[in-house]
Amino acid sequence: MNGRLEYWVKVPIGPIHPALEEPEKFIITLDGERIIHVDVKLGYNLRGLEWIAMRRNYIQILYLAERICGICSFSHNHTYSRAVEEMAGIQVPERAEYIRVIVGELERIHSHLLNLGVVGHTIGYDTVLHLSWLARERVMDILEAIGGNRVNYSVNMIGGVRRNIEEKHKRAILDMVKYYRNEVMPKIEEIFLYDPTVEARLRDAGVIPKRIAIEYSAQGPTARGSGVKKDVRYNEKLSVYPDLGVKPVTPKEFTGVVKGDVFDRMVVRVGELWQSMDTIERAIDQMPEGKIKAVPKDNALLFQLKKADGEGIGRYEAPRGELIHYVKGQKGKDVPAKWKMREPTFPNLFAIARALVGEQVADVPVAIASIDPCLSCTDRVAVIDANTGRKKILTEKDLLKLSIEKTRELNPEVKAKPEVIGVGCPRGGAL
Amino acid sequence: MNILYATLGFIGIYTYVSFASLLWEGIDRKLVARMQRRVGPPLLQPFYDFLKLVSKESIIPRDANRFFELAPVLALATSIALLAYTPLGFEPLFGTKGDVILFVYLLTLIGFLRVIGAVSSGSPYAQIGAQREMIILVSREGPMMLALFTILWRLNGLGVTKPFSMGTFYEHNVWELGTPMSVIGTVILLFVFLAWLASEIEVGYFDIPEAETELAEGTMAEYSGRHLALFDLASAIKAFVSASLVVAVFFPWGISGYLDLIGLPAMVVDLLFHTLKVFTVLFVSMTIFRTVTGRLRITQATNLFWTRLLPASMVGALLLVIDALGVIA
Repeated sequence: MNGRLEYWVKVPIGPIHPALEEPEKFIITLDGERIIHVDVKLGYNLRGLEWIAMRRNYIQILYLAERICGICSFSHNHTYSRAVEEMAGIQVPERAEYIRVIVGELERIHSHLLNLGVVGHTIGYDTVLHLSWLARERVMDILEAIGGNRVNYSVNMIGGVRRNIEEKHKRAILDMVKYYRNEVMPKIEEIFLYDPTVEARLRDAGVIPKRIAIEYSAQGPTARGSGVKKDVRYNEKLSVYPDLGVKPVTPKEFTGVVKGDVFDRMVVRVGELWQSMDTIERAIDQMPEGKIKAVPKDNALLFQLKKADGEGIGRYEAPRGELIHYVKGQKGKDVPAKWKMREPTFPNLFAIARALVGEQVADVPVAIASIDPCLSCTDRVAVIDANTGRKKILTEKDLLKLSIEKTRELNPEVKAKPEVIGVGCPRGGAL
Repeated sequence: MNILYATLGFIGIYTYVSFASLLWEGIDRKLVARMQRRVGPPLLQPFYDFLKLVSKESIIPRDANRFFELAPVLALATSIALLAYTPLGFEPLFGTKGDVILFVYLLTLIGFLRVIGAVSSGSPYAQIGAQREMIILVSREGPMMLALFTILWRLNGLGVTKPFSMGTFYEHNVWELGTPMSVIGTVILLFVFLAWLASEIEVGYFDIPEAETELAEGTMAEYSGRHLALFDLASAIKAFVSASLVVAVFFPWGISGYLDLIGLPAMVVDLLFHTLKVFTVLFVSMTIFRTVTGRLRITQATNLFWTRLLPASMVGALLLVIDALGVIA
């Protein structure tokens, strides 16, 4: 065994590598083309969001939450809103919940189309990338029409939504659904369910067995691809989703077998595209009239939140899996004492790292892409490498101390204690 | 005096092929872009790339050895030498009997030099890329050589001046045999050749050694500046030359005969017509192929060569042999 050790090669994949969209690092130990061990290193995308959040009030954090990640910008601020609503005991109007469902599902469509393209690109099938991203433009246009932006639509507000869905939006959305059903989905299905190249590359690559998926607490399509029926919208009877008949999609319904490989994860995503379209249609059908915000004025809302005390947890099935936000309020202040989120990529990354052992090096990029990793969401804890090669894991307390020191060094004017800048959102009242 | 003219012609051919192969690269990129509903780069983009790369600093890795710098130069030199034995619508300038063997040897040498360069760079990505290139190299040449030599052996039977030379194809071609069995065999071999061509220029299924998303350009990972430019030009010429082989074997017809031209004008017209045919073959084997397929794993690709293409090549060869020997009358 020791003789073999000599032939092992350690290949770093990342932090910068063409297969990865975001900085992350996998140290892969290879024996020829076979993978012996995978080590995951995180922390290349730390932006100190939780620290920034301590200097923002509840409403400002909404826009910060949106910028955690470009793809799930709705999911993050939706989940955050749910957490704050639970904390402050705010009832969300039903129409607002429906609008959230519609925008959430639109986001799921664009996120899944993006991931399908990325997986196509990682196996060198660039045509899939270009055409699926072309198809994605349509839903981006709709999101722009509703929210005013292609990516950060800022639809959510604590206790409701900021944008209404009007008749013209409804017509545009239904047109879009029709376009996807008739023109895009047949092609997508042909590529991801029947294309021989795709099947050759994705079948039996990066297999996550059901047991591993449960043990590592895999989330979203990664778990469902392994046959775990896990979907917060269904399991937790979240918001109005039970009325819309959302069920976890597993590959069994499409191909009849559950293997837990990359192919199955893609099948789940294709299935969820269909499901999202059905959900959107039903939501538009059932959407009641009424107001869209529990508290119309932002400063009144902020005042109400100032009085709130306690903690709230928001859960939502983001396109990549279950997203959890935790908010702890403090009485008399419009700043949360603690804001913390758990992203689906975190458990998924370790599940996939475990699954890669024994596979070929050619499967690494496609397996990593298949969980649709979102590192900008995940990285919020820093591991500092000293120049000497010594590693030290800093606790939150150390980080806080260090960042206060650094802030002082940069700008002595700023006081040591995290403070809020400004009151409320200056543009909030006008909208 | 004859040698002087041949040398001048050779220089002319080298200039022309460099230009045509880079132009094809531009056309290919544009066509793929249009098939993917993109605008794509301008037609002359490969020329801009080449000129830019030539003018840029070349970074040599600390762990690289001498062969790292030598390999691109040798690769380009090999590809230029290859042109002397490449059929370009007329018999190769320096063609002699048996030059097919030299042709295959030089063609493989380019791939081998890429491996040498990659191994010398000291990068783990290049190392894996080199391993893959080596595996593919030994897998892909088998079916092609079997097909090529069978056809040459068969054409020898028809009586040629220089046996086993590229000139053979301009005296007789394989379709002339005309019997149903030989036509079927030839079609099978044509398919083998097109697959081999795709693997020779490493596109579609066979984009394995350079696999951008897996190995960050694999064998070429550490190359930059002048050295990369030399490799780029060598690869472009190699693509043109490989396609020329397919054209010469299966579609050798010229048009100068119909236009009543002789001498230099005939050669020029045939060269232009040959270029057109090369572009057509490359369009099938490169542009369309890489648009409609993705990359295979190395095991799958090797499997494809040994269990699909080699048997196909054997069947095609056997059909030609049976036809020639008249076992089944």
